[in-house]
Amino acid sequence: MMGNIEDTKAGGDFFDLLDRSGYDLQDFLDKLPVNGKSTVPQGTTVLAFHYEDGVIVAGDRRIMAGSNMMFERCEKIIPIDHYSLMAVAGVPAIAFEISRILSQYFEYYRRTQVRPMSLEGKIRTFSKLLKENLTASTSGLTRVSPIFSTYDVETGKPSIYYYDMLGAEFQVLSFTATGAGAGHIRDVLERENQWGPKPLAQRCEKDAAIIAMKLLHVAAQLDNEEKKSLADVQIYPILASVTENGYKFWSEDQLTRLEAMSREGN
Amino acid sequence: MFEEPYRWMEAVSTRHNYVQEKLKMGQPVLAVPYNEGLLIFGFAPQPGKIYEIYDRIALGGVGHPADVERLRMNLLDMAHLEGFNRSAEDVTSTRLLQFGIAPALKQNFEEIQRAPYIVRLLLVELNAQGKPNFFRMNYDGHWETFKNGTAIAGDEKVMDWLQREIQKQPFATYSLDQALQEASKLWNESRKLDSDNDEDGKENDVPETIQEAFDQWYLEGAVLAEKSLSKAIYRPLSEDEINRLKSSTI
Repeated sequence: MMGNIEDTKAGGDFFDLLDRSGYDLQDFLDKLPVNGKSTVPQGTTVLAFHYEDGVIVAGDRRIMAGSNMMFERCEKIIPIDHYSLMAVAGVPAIAFEISRILSQYFEYYRRTQVRPMSLEGKIRTFSKLLKENLTASTSGLTRVSPIFSTYDVETGKPSIYYYDMLGAEFQVLSFTATGAGAGHIRDVLERENQWGPKPLAQRCEKDAAIIAMKLLHVAAQLDNEEKKSLADVQIYPILASVTENGYKFWSEDQLTRLEAMSREGN
Repeated sequence: MFEEPYRWMEAVSTRHNYVQEKLKMGQPVLAVPYNEGLLIFGFAPQPGKIYEIYDRIALGGVGHPADVERLRMNLLDMAHLEGFNRSAEDVTSTRLLQFGIAPALKQNFEEIQRAPYIVRLLLVELNAQGKPNFFRMNYDGHWETFKNGTAIAGDEKVMDWLQREIQKQPFATYSLDQALQEASKLWNESRKLDSDNDEDGKENDVPETIQEAFDQWYLEGAVLAEKSLSKAIYRPLSEDEINRLKSSTI
């Protein structure tokens, strides 16, 4: 149990703990075929935008392998800590692993250091994990396009970060979307933000939730990989928010009502 | 010299005396159930008695701060690796104690060439069914479980008295404010007992009353509350809760 004084560290580094336990994500990634043709299942569309209380995060639930739908109930919005959500398009295997590591990392840091990690620290930790996925993601085999939405309790401000596959982070002041249907969604969001009744950041929670549902309909209708919406079989998108009270997911009942409202064009 | 069993036993006995003497000034930490979870709290001249270990587990410590810290880090490492490799549901205080830290502490204590840990630990858990579990662990790795609350203190007489008194009250039926008030009264009474036992009569900086403790020391407290919106159900006592306690004791 005892270590030398020379080995003393401030602690709180979950990567270091994983390393000591023999876990090695990089080793797993290094063994993947670099030039293999990608038939790995991929998640499709996720989006996030600011509204008056915080950030709305939404995503469809499909996993596609080429033109085949592999799974239609995937939860691509994942809680990382009480104030942070990760939304992922791309290869779920890596996305889920990254979210699992991040979740333990932030909590481990908070508990060992008896204070939450700073926003900048969280952003960089996320970036580090994506950089470690670099070799595999450039081969196209494990590409992940995440959106990180969080609420900084210190400053009282919500924020959205989008990451490219090389781990560079970009703070988004209004909205972002990633995945197969993202192009269509960004077009509509731009229109809503510029010429809608109010900028997105001033919309109330209900309006913001309805917009998010409508956008996922748009993506499902226009994107080749998503085609028809799954509302007919009662599989709704995932909808969540991050505010000063932490994260919150809409329940199945709430989604049913929202779905109806979004179809009415309210 | 330790090849002879008697010498070894004598050395272990000396270690017990040494650790108990060092622990003597350790201020009590109490843990009791209340109607929505459990409460853990204590007063100390400096913060560092109550900690969160995992989603549903908290720790209280008495003893040398560096030793409490080292064991706290061990518990955190074990809990987070287990939560990562398996599931948060597999992280239980029984596993952390019985299969993790207790055997290591016992071994450390009986290896008489090594410095012993000067600690008493209190581990509390609100399990997935909402049932509170209380564990008390000694510096030699010996641990005990309690259903209705427990306490640790540097002085064994104080600790035993608190344990008996906690069992006499229906803490599980109390609201948080009530539980905090009643547990604070016990803490206050135990201070008097401690002073009575001070045979040397030497002066020390320990507050005589709970009002003095509020003025001179820190009240550290936390709850594991079933109604929490977060999956991590630990939260420190709020300023309002502490102020209500403070005004109720004046």
